[in-house]
Amino acid sequence: MASITIQSITKTFGTVPVLHDIDLSIADGEFVVLVGPSGCGKSTLLRMIAGLEDITGGEIRIDGRRINEVAPKDRDIAMVFQSYALYPHMTVADNMSYSLKLRKTARERIAEAVGAAAGKLGLDPLLERRPKALSGGQRQRVAMGRAIVRHPKAFLFDEPLSNLDARLREQMRAEIKRLHKAIGATSVYVTHDQIEAMTLADRIVAMHGGIIQQVGNPLDLYDRPANLFVAGFIGSPAMNFVDGHCRSGAIETDDGSRIAVPGGIDLAEGQAVTVGIRPEHVRIVAGSGAGSYTARVDLVEPTGFGTIVHVRLLGQDLKIYTLERGAAEVGEPLHIALDGDRLHVFDRETTNRIG
Amino acid sequence: MTFYPAAAPPDGDRRTAKQKIAAYLEPWLYSAPVLILIVAIMLVPLALGISYAFRDIRLLNPFSGAFVGLKHFRELAGDGAFRGALVNTLWWTFSSVILQFLFGLILALLLNRPFRGRALAQALCFLPWAVPSFLSGLDWAWMFNPVVGPIPHWLYALGILSEPSNILSDPETAMWGPIVANVWWGIPFFAITMLAALQAIPKDLYEAAEIDGAGPIERFRSITVPFLAPTMAISILLRTVWIANFADLIIVMTNGGPADRTQIVASYIFTQAFRRLDFGYASAIALVLLVLLLAYSMLIVVLRQTMLTRH
Repeated sequence: MASITIQSITKTFGTVPVLHDIDLSIADGEFVVLVGPSGCGKSTLLRMIAGLEDITGGEIRIDGRRINEVAPKDRDIAMVFQSYALYPHMTVADNMSYSLKLRKTARERIAEAVGAAAGKLGLDPLLERRPKALSGGQRQRVAMGRAIVRHPKAFLFDEPLSNLDARLREQMRAEIKRLHKAIGATSVYVTHDQIEAMTLADRIVAMHGGIIQQVGNPLDLYDRPANLFVAGFIGSPAMNFVDGHCRSGAIETDDGSRIAVPGGIDLAEGQAVTVGIRPEHVRIVAGSGAGSYTARVDLVEPTGFGTIVHVRLLGQDLKIYTLERGAAEVGEPLHIALDGDRLHVFDRETTNRIG
Repeated sequence: MTFYPAAAPPDGDRRTAKQKIAAYLEPWLYSAPVLILIVAIMLVPLALGISYAFRDIRLLNPFSGAFVGLKHFRELAGDGAFRGALVNTLWWTFSSVILQFLFGLILALLLNRPFRGRALAQALCFLPWAVPSFLSGLDWAWMFNPVVGPIPHWLYALGILSEPSNILSDPETAMWGPIVANVWWGIPFFAITMLAALQAIPKDLYEAAEIDGAGPIERFRSITVPFLAPTMAISILLRTVWIANFADLIIVMTNGGPADRTQIVASYIFTQAFRRLDFGYASAIALVLLVLLLAYSMLIVVLRQTMLTRH
């Protein structure tokens, strides 16, 4: 187990810059998730930690030791690939013991380590099979088994659940979390799925365009997104954004509606802002009153647990997430209210959070 | 036991004899067009060719054509030139295949890694394949000729030859001439097939192995070789049969000489048929070669099957 320090890392492919001045330190035993849309540089950063990509500029340290020039095999890390990358001509047991064999570990020690890992992952009955004869979930487990037999300093996960179906992904997600609790090893996990990021991470690193947008624990990112990108990326259904200007102490939206400025926020007269409203923070109220709005229901999407209601309001398609069934009918008018303390206000020019 | 009325009615089959014959012939009639084609195009010429082996067919003798039984084969058993050709065939085939394979594999490995101008290099490397075999035979024969070609002078300068002579006219070294030409000509075949197989190996595996601690040689041994093995087996099998039958370069470069030292079975057949015009004897030799190659193919197919089932 180890800490990982990433200092002003940059990366260019040819002349194309993909990572800009990344700084991040990961504590011993921490589970950090790098999350962002495809092409944001998260996988590149992970592969640089693994040693599979050259470092253009900056420095990566594992346990204080600079590893820029260290070969992947000498970094004492283990990686789980999206495609699992199991050796197809080896049995499960051989796949898991391959790295130990290459390190000339004693035969009994190998058997012991493989046995222990297989026990943890429920792979005992599959040890003599080849990857071809395994299901997707079992292959995923073998890939994790291959990583844990070595007791590496850090685990690197590169979108390990992306090739699984939704149900299995949920199950494996819980299993990875349980495994991390049991082993307690430093882990860096790359995903584009914000639910995986929220559920697994001790700390989330949200990335976009090769730049770290925000680092924080999952609920921080949800409650206080640092900018429009994080606000839009974290949370499902995604946050509603309403553009407006500050006019005489309130935010006037482009269609002329007014939203009260939440407490603790100072806005200059005429400042261009974007108000972020999470669908789950829009309340449906019984009748029209002070501060409430009335809108016609456009579309109703029941998800089983809750319902997503689309209304035409504030000049755009506003989504509402409600747990009440039958609260809205298409074409019927709906009265709604916004939670003042739960509004997010962003400067439209810098896209950064205000307040 | 259950009886199905359609299959075996207990009170006997009531269909007429004509109906029974029609029912029996029906599947054969449907497949007749294909069967006739196969018989006409493949089996008839094969049978004719085989029948020549048991007949006395000499173009220069208008009275030949009679059935002679196993006479050709008895002759063949005592034919020293044929035995020499068999040994030469082994030598020619295996050294050509092994060298083509090794150089083809190395070329494929080199072309598999990205570098500037790779597309051009690939096109150039595959060029020999497009050269007609007779032309490349002539080319190489000239290159080995000390009067017009540079190779004898190079070999002399390197101290391999004691004088810049033509290796094709020395019985001790003559076989190397066609082998070199054949290797040059055949490398692209292995390079193309191996490159295609190499490109089908997922890159992740190499990365996983690198992290697992495998060096370049270990990665080659534990990932590249197992992935390439089926392709290697089938392409080596194909090439072996092909080269054993491939007389073009030898006919053009040495014509089997000097002193029959480059005579392989295929070129011997050619010599018997088209120089001595003894088609009967040539067919007998061809039949022996066919049997040998069939036996070899069976061996390889069985080997490949056991290899595949083991994995």
